[in-house]
Amino acid sequence: MSFFAVEQVSLQFGGLLALRKVSLSIPNEGEIHGLIGPNGAGKTSFINTITGIYRCTEGRIVFRGKDLVGLTPHQIAARGIGRTFQNVEIFADQTVLINVLTSLHLHLGHGAWGSALGLPRARKAERQARNEAMSLLEMFGLEKYCDVRAGDLPFGILKRVELARALGTRPHLLLLDEPTSGMSELEAEETITLLRRLVQEKKIALLVVEHNMRVIMNLAEKLTVLNYGEKIAEGTPDQVQSNPEVISAYLGEEHANA
Amino acid sequence: MVLREAFDSKIGLLAIVVILLTLPWLLGSFYLYTLSLILVNVIIATGLNLLTGNAGQVSLCSSTFMAIGAYSAMVLNLKFGLTYWLALPLAGLIAAALGFGLGVPALRLRGYYLALATLAFLEIIQIVIQEASTLTGGVRGLLAPRPTFAGFKLNDQSFYYFILVITFLMIYIARNLLNSPLGRAFNAIRNSEAAAQALGISLAQVKVIAFTISAFYAGLAGGLYAPLVGFVDPVEFGLWTSIFHLTMIIVGGLGSLMGSVVGAVVITGLPEWLRGLKEYRDLASGAILLCFLIFMPTGIAGMWGRFHRPLDHISKETEVNGTRS
Amino acid sequence: MLGLNIQLLVAGLSVGSIYALVALGLVMTYKASDVLNFAQGEILTAGAYIALLFSVTLKFPYYQSFFLTIILISGLGILLERVAFRPLIMAPPFTIIIATLAVGQMIKNLIRLIWQSDVHRLSPPFRMAIWKWQDIRVNTQAVWVIACALIITGILAVFFRSSWLGKAMRSVSQNQQGARLMGISVERVFSLTWAISAALGAAAGILIAPLIGVYPDMGLVLVKAFVASIIGGFTSLAGAVVGGLVVGLIETFSGAYISSTFKEFVAFILLIVLLMFRPYGLFGAKQARRV
Repeated sequence: MSFFAVEQVSLQFGGLLALRKVSLSIPNEGEIHGLIGPNGAGKTSFINTITGIYRCTEGRIVFRGKDLVGLTPHQIAARGIGRTFQNVEIFADQTVLINVLTSLHLHLGHGAWGSALGLPRARKAERQARNEAMSLLEMFGLEKYCDVRAGDLPFGILKRVELARALGTRPHLLLLDEPTSGMSELEAEETITLLRRLVQEKKIALLVVEHNMRVIMNLAEKLTVLNYGEKIAEGTPDQVQSNPEVISAYLGEEHANA
Repeated sequence: MVLREAFDSKIGLLAIVVILLTLPWLLGSFYLYTLSLILVNVIIATGLNLLTGNAGQVSLCSSTFMAIGAYSAMVLNLKFGLTYWLALPLAGLIAAALGFGLGVPALRLRGYYLALATLAFLEIIQIVIQEASTLTGGVRGLLAPRPTFAGFKLNDQSFYYFILVITFLMIYIARNLLNSPLGRAFNAIRNSEAAAQALGISLAQVKVIAFTISAFYAGLAGGLYAPLVGFVDPVEFGLWTSIFHLTMIIVGGLGSLMGSVVGAVVITGLPEWLRGLKEYRDLASGAILLCFLIFMPTGIAGMWGRFHRPLDHISKETEVNGTRS
Repeated sequence: MLGLNIQLLVAGLSVGSIYALVALGLVMTYKASDVLNFAQGEILTAGAYIALLFSVTLKFPYYQSFFLTIILISGLGILLERVAFRPLIMAPPFTIIIATLAVGQMIKNLIRLIWQSDVHRLSPPFRMAIWKWQDIRVNTQAVWVIACALIITGILAVFFRSSWLGKAMRSVSQNQQGARLMGISVERVFSLTWAISAALGAAAGILIAPLIGVYPDMGLVLVKAFVASIIGGFTSLAGAVVGGLVVGLIETFSGAYISSTFKEFVAFILLIVLLMFRPYGLFGAKQARRV
């Protein structure tokens, strides 16, 4: 049975068909799968459909044996699917530490009653949570920002904060929407190395939407290409790069932008 | 801010407690009454701030939950003979139950729609209070006597101490909640519903919990307010009172526990600062509110917090890596 | 029986017309600048009091008072927009609600300071208060309200459809950037929108005053106007008018056939039911947020 499978999924907004019978599968955990395509191809809509923000009009989404279609986004997150957002959805008026702390409730959550009364067990759990949050921040080199208000930080750093935060839910599958955008070359390199390490050590699978070709060709083992809501190619980076349909889809975009 | 640093330091806290404990002996009965009123408003402000300042849910019916608490406590006490010491917490629970009842349909509503739903709830309860006059006394209101303990009716000072204890308790609980996963969930759904959901936070649960807790606080405050004032007058629980409550948390600082306290102190005391200008009260408070909304949206607490934020190490880091976006 | 129903119809349509006028003002400013004006009720009140000033204190004839009041209150609308609401344009709904409520409070306080809290009388334009025909008795002011509302709505409809200014307003409410690029002064359009919205509120105040008196809390009809706007979906002017009439009719008929208590409740229950099942109203469009 496949670790993660999207089968023939379509998504319709009124008269607009955003996704048409798209299929994608990640057979085992610990794999890195890329999702690319020109602007407007439906990549973010695809991610949003998996996470339950949109409900697909047809098709199946199965994750570790469980059907995801019809579940609410928070239920899907609790099943072990984490995500980051294209335009970082950070908790702007909270500190970086609190941003990451917020994600730990699924596994280190303590009951509201215990917390409200200040019981010792709740306090201990809170201390544990803080420690785990700090180590997540350290993993991404963000510990010096722990008490900084997130909204004051530049975009590139917030991308990393979102990553650290997403890991707090201990996901088995991470959906990353343009994780290196807004980062310098150096930061992007570091982030990729870190992602690879995570995949190896924690066996997290990644589905990565990227515009930066250098990054995704190096990172992904397998690529799916979307154009106008349809899958037009799939394969290893080399296969996809030399696929004529893919080239013309991107060239088309270049022409449009020229 | 002196007050916040004082709160954080144990000695400072002790000093505040001592001051508050000895004040009754120093103040005349009028100022003691005002102080008791401030404490009641601190409770309301704290609960409302949790709902609106932290969880981001607009509510125009805080006065309604206060009314529910006030009427419930007095009706249970006077018409059903339940002792005040049980009627009070029950009144809070009744208010909480209605808060839960409001929270459920309000789940899918945001912004203006949510505000209007709470406004409709306020109006409906106003009508219910008027119509159920055998229970509530209708437009004429209810007399609310001071409770008795061990046969003795509580005087101003003893009742003040009771309110003080309850206020400290409610602040303590709020502080714990804010530093817990629930408190973080509140702030999360206000900042970004999408991200909160992606972290496994259920919007529905958190919103309903926020309404319920806030209603409990307001209801409890109402149950304390009634015997303090001595009378339950339906006219006092209208839209304008809700605006008064919102003024407290806006001026004090949305989302800040310290802000709730500061706001309650400043705004409750306002009629006092403006004693000679009683007729201009709404004009003045409206102007203050507007000024804060336009120029100081983070309130007094927020302005003070700005001075304590670590800004230095960001600029150095970004210069090195050039990650200004 | 028919007589009673016709009376109820007239009464319902007339109070509904008031709701419709106020709701129109609300929807206009909402469409143009995303501001839901919780002070619209106080603008209505201000309209009634200024009309009082002109007709009772200064003894101007009815139609002159009407006209002058409209002009003055339109000016008030422009002033409010410039001073209080323009700084809040990008603010979240919460801020706007509180700000408009605060402005409303301030206006009400000013009115109380000048005129005290007693109920004043504003005379209707007709000498005959009741029209009698067979066994049907109809309040002339009520008919006058309906007639005025029809005329005003008609003028507005024509204005939006055909005049250049009306089209400019429509384009600003749909797409500010685009309108700006086409040379439309968005600021002027805002001012005009608020002027018209205030004028509508003032008209409602002048029309309702002979029926209920002039007193500081007149503005509480605002909540009913909200219900009307929601029926119309907040984004439809026609919907606001229809909504207002519907609320007026439901209130009046249920007051007569069910009970007067129910009449008080019905608007709010309608509001909650609508919010629960169709928050975007019967005419409005859903607005989703993309992440």
